[in-house]
Amino acid sequence: MPTKMNALRQGFIRCHDCGYLVKTIAQISSCPRCRSHLHARRPHSIARTTALLLSSFFMYIPANIFPIMTVNQFGTGDTHTIAGGIIELIDGGMLPIGLLVFVASILVPSLKLIGIALLLLIVYFRWPINSRRWTSIYRIIAFIGRWSMLDIFMISILVDLVDFNGVQIIAGPAAIAFSAVVILTMFAAENFDPRLLWDNQ
Amino acid sequence: MNSINFNACPECDLLISIAHPKIGEKHHCPRCNLLLLRPRKRSIERTFALSIAGFILFFPANFLPLVSITLLGNANTGILMSGVIALLTKNMWPVAIVVFLASILFPLIQISLSLLISGHLYFNRPNRYLVNWMRWMHHLDEWVMLEVYMLSIIVACVKLMAISPLTFGWGLYAFIGLIIITTLLISNLDIPFFWQKIERLTQDINHAD
Repeated sequence: MPTKMNALRQGFIRCHDCGYLVKTIAQISSCPRCRSHLHARRPHSIARTTALLLSSFFMYIPANIFPIMTVNQFGTGDTHTIAGGIIELIDGGMLPIGLLVFVASILVPSLKLIGIALLLLIVYFRWPINSRRWTSIYRIIAFIGRWSMLDIFMISILVDLVDFNGVQIIAGPAAIAFSAVVILTMFAAENFDPRLLWDNQ
Repeated sequence: MNSINFNACPECDLLISIAHPKIGEKHHCPRCNLLLLRPRKRSIERTFALSIAGFILFFPANFLPLVSITLLGNANTGILMSGVIALLTKNMWPVAIVVFLASILFPLIQISLSLLISGHLYFNRPNRYLVNWMRWMHHLDEWVMLEVYMLSIIVACVKLMAISPLTFGWGLYAFIGLIIITTLLISNLDIPFFWQKIERLTQDINHAD
């Protein structure tokens, strides 16, 4: 279906917050139903998404090389990176849990970074793509992002529960970097406007 | 505005004439397949009832112990807030803030907002802040991460069970209940219908002025 089917081409703007349809000719700046600011596409979608994505790329490096937690047992400290923790789970015979943490902490964030980068390139260079397929990819990226918080919540539980005189679990600097990655990529996905995938078809 | 007969898809901007699916039917965007409308039976009543239940469950889920661990003869008990405090006291305040927002504050705000909105609609009471509440709730949606937290509890428990015995507290059962209630709440909330209802209520205020 061609672009001329788009609401914007036919002179309508959809309110982002409540879905109300407003005629462009009316030239009003806020939604008559919910008073939120009207804009045809998310404002500065490409610039904002790029900025957030680049920041999360930079945070992704410390998140993976620094220790995410340290287990202190009677004076000897044992530090783990994200990958190290997963290897230890699998070595300890907890394969399903290890795979789950692998998906949430390594697979999802890296696929998300690549996916959002591809979406940006598609819109920026107007690559001819299957809009329907890439809209579904966008939807998956936007949906799975929050599940990467799994590792962060788990650390908060472990740090709290394992706090004894001889045995302690301490969060490492990678925990801050990793939560930054998750939050920045969630904001990046939120700022990307999937309608841009349909505008140049 | 004469735009009442049309609707636009939020994700591909296709202009569609408004559909009126029956209860139980789903209306998808013909171009990008996004689920657009999914009317629910007695959406306002159910949302109101579930919001009350969720609001009540929120407190035991937050203040009763979730899990206790015994190691070297000492016992440690965890609640939602103690994880945040443990991170705060160990110089991890950025992580503590994130955990606090996603697992405590945002869920509380979301339930309170849905209680306020559905309560006003249930009793047909107009309020000028209804539209703001709806907008806040819409933006909060993906930042409420109770179910992610639940999965983290499971993973943490599997890890800890290898080391020492665990006991589960009443807080955990309340927390599971809270997740079930909020999931039902989201699935019974018919957002386009709520907006129409609010539009009608606020028009009444404007006429009264």
